[in-house]
Amino acid sequence: MKRRKLLTLGLTSIMLIGALAGCGGGNASGGTEAAPSGEPAAESTEAAAGSTGLTYASVVLGETGTDLKATIKVLNHRTDMLQDNYPGTSWKDYLDTFHEMYPGIEVDIEGITDYASDSLLRLQGGDWGDIMMIPAIDSSQYADYFLPMGTLEEVSSLVRFTANSQYGGIVYGIPSTANAQGVLYNKKVFETAGITELPKTGEEFIKDLKLIKEKTDAIPLYTNYAAGWTMGAWDAYIGGSATGDTAYMNQKLAHTANPFADPGNGTGAYNIYKVLYDSVAEGLTEDDYTTTDWEGCKGMINRGEIGTMVLGSWAYSQMQAAGDHPEDIGYMSFPITVNGKQYASAGPDYAFAINKDSSDDNKLASMIFIKWMTEKSGFSYNEAGIPIATDDNKYPDLYAAFEGIDYVADDVALEGEEDLMSLLNADSELNFNSGGDKKVQAIVEHAANKDMSFDDIMNDWNAKWTDAQELNGVKILY
Amino acid sequence: MEISKGWNVRKKRQLQVIVAFTIVPLFLLILFTYYPFLEMIRYSFYNMKYIGPRKFVGFRNYVQVFTRPDIIRTLLLSLYYMVGSVVQVALALYFATIFCFKVKGENLWKGFIFFPYLINGIAIGFIFKFFYTRGFVLDTVLQAIGFDLENLPYWLKDQNINNWSLVFTSVWRYMGSNMVLFLGAMMSVDNTLYEAASLDGANKWQTFRYIILPSIKTIVTLNIILSITGSLSAFEPPYVITSGANGTATFFVVMNDIAHTSQKVGLASAMAVFLLIVIFIAKFIQDALFKYIFRNAEAGDESADVARQKKKALKAAKRAAKGGK
Repeated sequence: MKRRKLLTLGLTSIMLIGALAGCGGGNASGGTEAAPSGEPAAESTEAAAGSTGLTYASVVLGETGTDLKATIKVLNHRTDMLQDNYPGTSWKDYLDTFHEMYPGIEVDIEGITDYASDSLLRLQGGDWGDIMMIPAIDSSQYADYFLPMGTLEEVSSLVRFTANSQYGGIVYGIPSTANAQGVLYNKKVFETAGITELPKTGEEFIKDLKLIKEKTDAIPLYTNYAAGWTMGAWDAYIGGSATGDTAYMNQKLAHTANPFADPGNGTGAYNIYKVLYDSVAEGLTEDDYTTTDWEGCKGMINRGEIGTMVLGSWAYSQMQAAGDHPEDIGYMSFPITVNGKQYASAGPDYAFAINKDSSDDNKLASMIFIKWMTEKSGFSYNEAGIPIATDDNKYPDLYAAFEGIDYVADDVALEGEEDLMSLLNADSELNFNSGGDKKVQAIVEHAANKDMSFDDIMNDWNAKWTDAQELNGVKILY
Repeated sequence: MEISKGWNVRKKRQLQVIVAFTIVPLFLLILFTYYPFLEMIRYSFYNMKYIGPRKFVGFRNYVQVFTRPDIIRTLLLSLYYMVGSVVQVALALYFATIFCFKVKGENLWKGFIFFPYLINGIAIGFIFKFFYTRGFVLDTVLQAIGFDLENLPYWLKDQNINNWSLVFTSVWRYMGSNMVLFLGAMMSVDNTLYEAASLDGANKWQTFRYIILPSIKTIVTLNIILSITGSLSAFEPPYVITSGANGTATFFVVMNDIAHTSQKVGLASAMAVFLLIVIFIAKFIQDALFKYIFRNAEAGDESADVARQKKKALKAAKRAAKGGK
């Protein structure tokens, strides 16, 4: 009988532990990493242009290849745009317009539902058509799959946000659209509170929140604490918005000594999170942060029961759709000013790239189609994104309040340091932009319970970051 | 001679059948339980992620388990759940005893109490999230019976009581299953014993103390063991209701965070090994304690009746352990 008891216990415990071990065991063998393909970093413009001399710049819409006959296949993630009932402009609408200019080029669009993972398989398989959206592969591998479109200098004079789809100064992809990060607010609430000018600094923002609390019944800042992942949104501003420096997030942060200390000039990560701490400490957030309701908050901001929420631009359309007052939803840049100038972290969506093994005709037809999508289709505008072509300044309503603000797209990590940020993130357990919701939630807790000052929290982060830097032997450069 | 030869052949065949039948489950058990378990012990000595290089660090992970304030805090947190589990077993015993005597609408009440156990743990989390929201279900009910909202605490925000709130959901959920286990054991007590007791003029308390409790003591022990080891591994209520924030992160929630968000697989494995050891120690202490308490009964001969109950209890416990996870 004793033995049986023991057996039960043993089995029970092993079942419990086995659950965790299973997680660890299954993934342990995945230690192989794709070796960088060792291409020379800088290639000549000729090599960049490919064998045919075809570049993005060389195509002139309406002149180049108007009598070309070709059928190209496009692999795309927007399956919703293939549906007849798509509320915006569907693929069919785009292609009809495209055929007015290029009747000879047939475009066959294949939508993939789980694009992020399936596209990688298709890429390895090789038989994926002529155009695809660049999936998550190392930028050093671009040359193995995609047609060079020109030098960075040449292409970036025509197209915004090319930094992520280039390698060694050669561009391999053109972004389909791009987004910037800001703060959601309710225009009517701001009006009622008597706020005429959008806040530009953290201090102004707190002042405005106080006005909202005084003059309206709305919750000035809704934290969305309980959902957890919504708090991780605060990490999105510490790069471009807080510094105006394209290299900060992926290149400098890892090498910065005590990056969360107060720089004293109102910039940096310190002043991003301070806005959150101060709002909570001054009672400018919801009454009970532990029971905030993510689904409910959409209707609340739409009805004017919430003043502001700190979330990415993707949330804008959801808030508009959640009630009868879509016109009240506004989007503004994060209230932080760097040397008298405001910046907004921005980044490209998926980028179009061309198969380097396609026939010359198909390559030309593909380049024409991509250029047309970028310059003539209005795709980015229709999808509420930042315009991609540099001479296109037609911003959607979403960015109406971003006038005069510079968009900052993060540069990719330096060669050989691609893994550094994820190493530091994991070892410090701060996990910026990768699920580190707990640390932002802790700011709310400490501010509400008044058991830790903001400077102490930041010192703690600095200590963790420094430990992680030492553990990984990172050189301090900044 | 002939007979013994036939006997041998039969034995051989029996052995073949036994081997043939056990080899498959045994293989699966080793492959999916013991092998990963041994691997996990190995991982606990490394500094590693799911992918990428590994570095042998000796006992550093174990040192961290004992020195990191957030991990030590979770051990204190499990005291809340242990207190909760004692309350849970006591309540279950109380209700089971009541149902053992004649009650009106017995099955309906049993159904009500057992029902929470049938609901999915995630759903329970969401139910209680709204239950505890300021001005929602609980506050409304309390206001209806005369409390003022001003004087009511914030059930999940106030760090002095939010863990009790979470413990309550766990008690609410598992009490019914404990009760059914007790009830099953009580049902198998010989009815003539009750009759004899009532003829002798025993009251309800005496019936419970001298007839019911001794007959079901094994299953009471088991329930307590399972509840206490279960309280060390409490996961669903804090994970779903508060996502482990605001000082409610239990051992499993922290382990999950370390293993998956921060990908410190070595440290998480060390935590798992540590938990196993703690559970073993808890088990041995309980064993010794109960041996002391029931030392008189152990001396007496175990009737076939009690043995059967034990079998039942073991089966039920295994089921409960599966469900409890």
